Amino acid sequence: MNVLKVSKTTIALFVLPCLLLYICLVFVPIVVSAYSGLLDWNGIGESTFIGLENFKTLFFNDSVFWPSVRRTLLFAVFSMAEIPIALFVAILLNRFVKRPNFLVSSYFLPVILSVVIVGQLWKTIYNPASMGGMLNGLLIAVGLPEWTRSWLTDPSIAMYSLYFVALWQYLGYHTLIQFTGIQAIPADLYEAARIDGAEGLKADWHITFPMNIPIFKISIVLAFIGSLQAFDMVMVMTAGGPAHATDVISTHMYNMSFLSMKYGYGSAIAIFLVCICLIATVIINFIFNRLDRKYT
Amino acid sequence: MKRKRLAKLVTAALLAVMLAACGANGGNKGTNTDAGKATGGSTGPKAEKITITFQNIFPDPTEPKHGIIKKIVEQYEKEHPNVKIELDSLNTDQQKLKLKTQAASREVPDITMVNPAAQMQHFVEAGLLAPLNDMLGENGLKETFQEGILDFYSFDGNVYALPDGNNIGLVYYNKEMFEQAGAQVPTTFEEMLDVVKKLKEKGFTPMAIGEKDTWTGSFLFMNMLLRTSGPGFLQKVLDGEKTFEDPTFVEAVDAFQALVQAGAFQEGATSFDYNAGENLFKTGQTAMYYMGSWATGGIETSSVNGKVGVFKFPTVNGKGDPNEFMLAPGSGFAISANSKHLEETKDFLNYFMVNFPKEAFLAKGAVGLGQHVEGDFKAAGYSDMAMEVLALFKDVKGGDLAFDNTMNPGTAQGHLTSIQNLFVNKIDSAEVAKEHQAAYVSNK
Repeated sequence: MNVLKVSKTTIALFVLPCLLLYICLVFVPIVVSAYSGLLDWNGIGESTFIGLENFKTLFFNDSVFWPSVRRTLLFAVFSMAEIPIALFVAILLNRFVKRPNFLVSSYFLPVILSVVIVGQLWKTIYNPASMGGMLNGLLIAVGLPEWTRSWLTDPSIAMYSLYFVALWQYLGYHTLIQFTGIQAIPADLYEAARIDGAEGLKADWHITFPMNIPIFKISIVLAFIGSLQAFDMVMVMTAGGPAHATDVISTHMYNMSFLSMKYGYGSAIAIFLVCICLIATVIINFIFNRLDRKYT
Repeated sequence: MKRKRLAKLVTAALLAVMLAACGANGGNKGTNTDAGKATGGSTGPKAEKITITFQNIFPDPTEPKHGIIKKIVEQYEKEHPNVKIELDSLNTDQQKLKLKTQAASREVPDITMVNPAAQMQHFVEAGLLAPLNDMLGENGLKETFQEGILDFYSFDGNVYALPDGNNIGLVYYNKEMFEQAGAQVPTTFEEMLDVVKKLKEKGFTPMAIGEKDTWTGSFLFMNMLLRTSGPGFLQKVLDGEKTFEDPTFVEAVDAFQALVQAGAFQEGATSFDYNAGENLFKTGQTAMYYMGSWATGGIETSSVNGKVGVFKFPTVNGKGDPNEFMLAPGSGFAISANSKHLEETKDFLNYFMVNFPKEAFLAKGAVGLGQHVEGDFKAAGYSDMAMEVLALFKDVKGGDLAFDNTMNPGTAQGHLTSIQNLFVNKIDSAEVAKEHQAAYVSNK
């Protein structure tokens, strides 16, 4: 393994700064949170060690927690379901558009807008018609007044309104990733396939999809982790309301740590979130490794 | 071989620079400590330079207090060339969050701001705030405060913060819209519901509220509770004399639901934050607005200025005294117990508070101060609405504090959510009372 011309000490020296930063900014806080999760602590004063009591309350005695987990996971499912659509869009762009860069950039535009701006924008769009909401105004204009809703304040649909905005914002992001992935596939493969009689969608199924699996996986992992950590969008648009109807794991954690002043309890939720992220990453890797083996 | 050594050298040098940069920060702190030994706010030429951090909640240049703080700080710095006051101005919510994070690592800024009573109790119990009794005695500062106001900031006989204001809850109303709808200022809750009906018939949105920030609805609800049960309900719950399932509490929930069901508030109220809600009133889109008297300044500078009057919240079911108000003693300036320049900071805050009412009066921001203000408001050009608000202050015969100033944060969050829920769901009032009791018991 002596292909590198530099010594191990040099490598270690170069890795060290990043490693230190990583340990200080990621690893240590996780460990500290894990410990705080075992405390009854308001974040300021004295703390008492209560073992797994926080987790017991969290799992068995918190009426907000499990619904917020369900919402978060549902969000993750929607986000992942979006990736095939993004892939499809990318394939279409690649095949039928002569100069796709402009379109890709325009799809990507919402991603570079700050979440606060996107949130405020959609809040205005979702407003009731009497407050000048565009969506409801449009529905009335096309003669569907019975379809109007108070999109963000009706507890039964508010969460779906939020999902939609997030999916809208990130479609361009994943399209761009997939698009780049597709462009990296060598053209001679398609030429060879054409000789064998595989064109269009058939070629996509047998070439584009398998060749693109590593990129597909990146998008899936990003979408999954991203949706588990969803916080800013919810905070800007509804702050978890009305009455917890749009609380996700991270907003529940925030409410507990900083508004209810149960810092220990909030840390317990944080640790739960870390665990879910780790487990999910392992599962996704496992599935894709098998897919990889099947196709290569 | 040589190249390898060079690479190592460069890396080592880089690391050294990085470490030195980290060290420099630590070093600065060290020198600060040394400077801290300089005593008093003396102007002696040899006094060492010190910096006092002043965390505050007035980042908005259109608000009078922003300018007042700047002005007094500049004056003080001119008189004390060795002292530099560093302003850390943040939005209320951001400041709350930042202070909690700082408190967790026990690094509270020299001067910060806390909310009264139950909300500042944690900080006091953790020993983070310095008692201010000694500096209150200097320059007659204590006498400038209104009677009893300092009680909200006192624990075990020590005062820990000095309020920037003292406000009451009242209803602002748009006189023009009332006139067009043929509505009169209501004195009973039934009349108020009738006003709502008249305004709606005319096509107006009767009331604005920013219920995304849940405290707004709670503040209004608490005023109804103050009417149905009289002052001190929450204290009685804390003392074990009453529970939330008390009939007077259920009655208040009933009244609140009646107002919501009558369509008093703008559609989608729970997605409007405090500012957006207030803007509806300030831009003439709603006819009424229930808020603390601190909103007066903002309404004066808005487009509805001149059309706005105020009235006391009416009686509910014939109960209660309109002269009992929701009391909102303001945020208080507090000093960190671990401040490296405790004496200088106290000296500055004393100077600041002594000059505060004078400067506030000049900046037309003296409505709802916690201190006595000398001067003729009318002659100084205060608006008619401001005069009306000032007149209401003279009628105050006690009242209650906001929910989160009396109960612990956990119970308060349960309450706030429960009230927000009433905006989107019609719920049996007895059920709401039960929810409150459950939240109270589980957070005891």
